[in-house]
Amino acid sequence: MRETLFMVFSLFTIAAASGVVLSRNPVYSAFSLILSFFGLSGLYLLWGSTFMAMIQILIYTGAIVVLFVFVVMLLNLQTVRENSPNLLFLVGAAAAVWLFSLMILRVLTRAIPNKAVEIPTDQLRAISKLLFTRYLWPFEVLSLFLLVMIVAIFAITRTQEIPQGGEKK
Amino acid sequence: MEAMDLIVTAVKTAIIYLGMVQVVPIMLIVERRGAALIQDRPGPNRVGPFGLFQPIADVIKMMMKEVTIPRQVNKALYLLGPFLVLFPASLVIAAIPFGDFFTLFDRNYVLQVANIDVGILYVLAIGSLGIYGILFGGWASNNKFSLIGAMRSSSQIISYEIPLGLAACSAVVWYGSFSLREMVSIQEGTLLGVLPNWGIFYQPLGFLLFFIAAFAETNRLPFDLPESEAELVAGFHTEYGAMDFGTFFMAEYMNMATMSGLMVSMYFGGWHLPWISDATLLQWLGSRNLLAALQVLTVIVKIAVFMLIFVWVRWTIPRFRFDQLMRLAWKNLIPLGLFNLVLTALILYFKGAA
Repeated sequence: MRETLFMVFSLFTIAAASGVVLSRNPVYSAFSLILSFFGLSGLYLLWGSTFMAMIQILIYTGAIVVLFVFVVMLLNLQTVRENSPNLLFLVGAAAAVWLFSLMILRVLTRAIPNKAVEIPTDQLRAISKLLFTRYLWPFEVLSLFLLVMIVAIFAITRTQEIPQGGEKK
Repeated sequence: MEAMDLIVTAVKTAIIYLGMVQVVPIMLIVERRGAALIQDRPGPNRVGPFGLFQPIADVIKMMMKEVTIPRQVNKALYLLGPFLVLFPASLVIAAIPFGDFFTLFDRNYVLQVANIDVGILYVLAIGSLGIYGILFGGWASNNKFSLIGAMRSSSQIISYEIPLGLAACSAVVWYGSFSLREMVSIQEGTLLGVLPNWGIFYQPLGFLLFFIAAFAETNRLPFDLPESEAELVAGFHTEYGAMDFGTFFMAEYMNMATMSGLMVSMYFGGWHLPWISDATLLQWLGSRNLLAALQVLTVIVKIAVFMLIFVWVRWTIPRFRFDQLMRLAWKNLIPLGLFNLVLTALILYFKGAA
């Protein structure tokens, strides 16, 4: 049962991920990305990690892809028409194959452990403990970094001066 | 025994899901009669006794209408749109606890479709997916008003998800659990001997934020910009007709029911009756299953009260303008939500230290 479900979710994720790269219409790509995240969260569930599965949907599917879709829709992108693989496509494909073979090599040259990684019974507590002790500094620095980026985006996009205390005319 | 569990789960799912679907016709008549009551007019009272068959007539009308698909639309995504809204709306109810448990052949079953240990995250995660139906539906309509309307509605939903999430975070910190079932269990008993031990008395600000954000998330007045067809050309559903359009409304009512269920579980004691403990009730009733039935009834009545408040508010507060809507979320609700979260954490810290 578990193995069948694992296969189903994996194939679903891979198929959807291929859809992201292969579809001509950027909106369809975004839609496939959502589906592939769903497959991924199914895998997390199978692994017994409800928390990760939910966070995966909440953050990636519920927030980040929404922004992708916003941008794609507002930019009014056209469907890719040309069929012939151009140079960029070849470079991308080569890079993907290279990366993939590196990963496969890594897996094959190492002994595969018999046991899966042990999951603590109270995952939430374990994750939060690490986040607030061992990884506190990276965590805080990252959040500060994100804040700086938000402020920077405001500074860049706001081209017009708005007079103090008044609405923009 | 495992087959038995499967059957019980299937029956539970079917009953709760079908019950959820019944919310739609009931709310149709309640909303129309409620509106009439507030506006001092009779309302629909011709079809059947007291106009009770009006929703049936409404649905038949919706179903019988010709399905028109405009020529310029992206057909696949256009047809998918309403279902992308309906699907998450009907899924989230699975996490709402309707009661403690019932006994069948000496085995206990929880009165909930799925007892998820991170229930509140599940609700927020699946609930946030409804936005895609709006986005894709609006985009696939291939019409600038629909696209702009979809952007407007989805930015509204994204913005209000933050105060909603912050209020939920404060509740999670307060109860020390992500599970809705556990939250409800903690709310049993009385507070200082007078008040019921409900979350609203511990998290009043959190409840207020959640309540306001719930209106925006379900697209209800005063935040129902997609319905202002005269001023804004409606929104993402401009090109939809017949039952496709009806599907968006089904999803709206289902979302209202889920939001009410969440508020009941988090702030209003879920299946607990005020001032009477479950143990006392069990003594009076003498049967576990009778108690379970009473608990389900309690939750349903509480949800119904919230649904009535939704209708009441609709005819009380005028619609917000879009910039006012955004200002309310980003400049008022989110700072308040952060304040509430920090306050809750501080209180818990000092309570633990004392």
